[in-house]
Amino acid sequence: MESGLENSDVARICLPFLRGTQNPDAGWGFRPGTSSRVEATCWALLALWEPSQESSEDRVRVHRARDFLQTTQLGDGSWPAAPGDETGCWVTSLCCLALKAIGDQTQSATIESGLRWICNDWPSDSSPWRRFLARLSSQHDVAPINTSYRGWGWTPGTSSWVEPTSFALMALVRAESPELAAKAKKRRALATSLLFDRMCPGGGWNAGNPVVYGAAGEPAVVPTALSLLALRNAQARSEITLSLDWVQRTAANIQSPGSLALTQICLRTHGRLQPGMAALGAVLKRSDFLDNTLVAAWSVLACGSDFWLGKPDARTVAA
Amino acid sequence: MVIRRVASYQEEIASVMFESLAPFGLQVKGKSVLVKPNLVGLDPQGFINTHPTVIAAARECFLRMGASQVLVGDGPALDRDTEAILESVRLREHLGPLRNVFVDLNLDEVQRVTFPTRASRLRELYLPKTCMGVDFVVSMAKLKTHHWAGVTLSMKNMFGIVPGACYGWPKNVLHWAGIDRAILDINAAARPDFAIVDGIVGMEGNGPTQGKSKASGVLVLGNDPVAVDATCCRVMGLRPERVKYLQQAGTLLGHLQADKIQQVGEHIESVRQSFEVLPAFHQLVA
Repeated sequence: MESGLENSDVARICLPFLRGTQNPDAGWGFRPGTSSRVEATCWALLALWEPSQESSEDRVRVHRARDFLQTTQLGDGSWPAAPGDETGCWVTSLCCLALKAIGDQTQSATIESGLRWICNDWPSDSSPWRRFLARLSSQHDVAPINTSYRGWGWTPGTSSWVEPTSFALMALVRAESPELAAKAKKRRALATSLLFDRMCPGGGWNAGNPVVYGAAGEPAVVPTALSLLALRNAQARSEITLSLDWVQRTAANIQSPGSLALTQICLRTHGRLQPGMAALGAVLKRSDFLDNTLVAAWSVLACGSDFWLGKPDARTVAA
Repeated sequence: MVIRRVASYQEEIASVMFESLAPFGLQVKGKSVLVKPNLVGLDPQGFINTHPTVIAAARECFLRMGASQVLVGDGPALDRDTEAILESVRLREHLGPLRNVFVDLNLDEVQRVTFPTRASRLRELYLPKTCMGVDFVVSMAKLKTHHWAGVTLSMKNMFGIVPGACYGWPKNVLHWAGIDRAILDINAAARPDFAIVDGIVGMEGNGPTQGKSKASGVLVLGNDPVAVDATCCRVMGLRPERVKYLQQAGTLLGHLQADKIQQVGEHIESVRQSFEVLPAFHQLVA
């Protein structure tokens, strides 16, 4: 595995890709030549922020991307997933995370309004009325989950799912104003409980159904890695250990660069990165990663520091 | 409608399929085609997703029929790492380099599409431009039971065009709108032109991912997705008129009644199976 970004295959493949695919409007699409999207822009911005410490050109790219994000924010503080959509969604958490990561004080108000929107965005499945109805349903034991725990949905007015909840947890750690921090603390407690409740019986997470019709759900790499990143500052619990064990067992068989990159970030953050995983650069060279901006960005972040998670470089911890 | 017996994925599926497509006289020469398989999740054992040999055979057939371009595209519902799913089914080995062949519909360019049917409370959705822009769409499902919809065949397969980047993994907004009604809206908007169902090995019980494999040995093809799905139900030993979305689709989008479906190839009775269903769907059993 690569020990750092400099001179790595990952840098040679992914940095030119990201640098060459920023759109004239300063955002990135999911693939080269496609319309700018908030999610792709956030990940590309994060990936280019670290090298920008040495490159004024990257710094310009990041600052332009920051401006793109600022202009796409909706009036209620949220961000939309699709261009022209007037409804915000889960990408709001990722935007707050990305803007906070670059440490630009001029973005404080933008970030605060985003975090406020996240705090006020409740899933509909766990409202008291819905919970009452669910108790009466003949299907109430099909997918046994504790609906008193509440996270976030992908889109407003739907159910809590693991990934949007994980991103919101990562973003809300950054709430600073006392009023918002208090709200965020309550939401984080509920959402942390939800993540533990949604863990698959043998460790790890899937989209959010740990058991359906009595069958244990199979965990998946991406939601597991993101959940573990969201829970990195949670109190030590056996569920975390069990899930990290699952990730470590699974890591050796991962063939796709996106999952491999997120796994490396996750294990490094938890101080569990070990030799034996496939080299990310080699996997990238072997595949064409479908020209996916997210995969390129995750790969760069896998070889960089964890600045975007709001903690010092964790490579020293892993070492 | 054509039902063909195909015992295993080792058979000459492209030849069987090409021969089966002939009676339809499909006008695809010079046209762009999207083949939309059912790729739900990691599938090392090969009975969750449309099998890659069937996908490759369909691509080959449409190219042989003169299509100018045959793309393969899906937007997996449960896992955002589409490439991991493609690796798990070894799609590259069957299709070659995927860069200009496979489209991840979850991340595709999108356009806002208004639903003419207004069956669900969704009035519109963002849908992928690739799917809405090609000349000919082929829904390539797997023969499976489904724990929320009863069955998942060529019409339910079209859920996969809804972009995850807009609606998440899973595309939960469709569940909130009512799965059965959302199936109608999406099919009415996207209008798949043709359906091919991979029933060589299907799935029974707790589908779409946690059921048991069911070797059924059939390919079902047709230019009316409602008729194809109704026929598949009959092959599975289920009553299509009791599948909610099919019941409604039969009045809006195609033919449900057996006597209105013109069929060649194997007789349903000769390939009929008894697919296990979850207790919630016992009423579907014929």
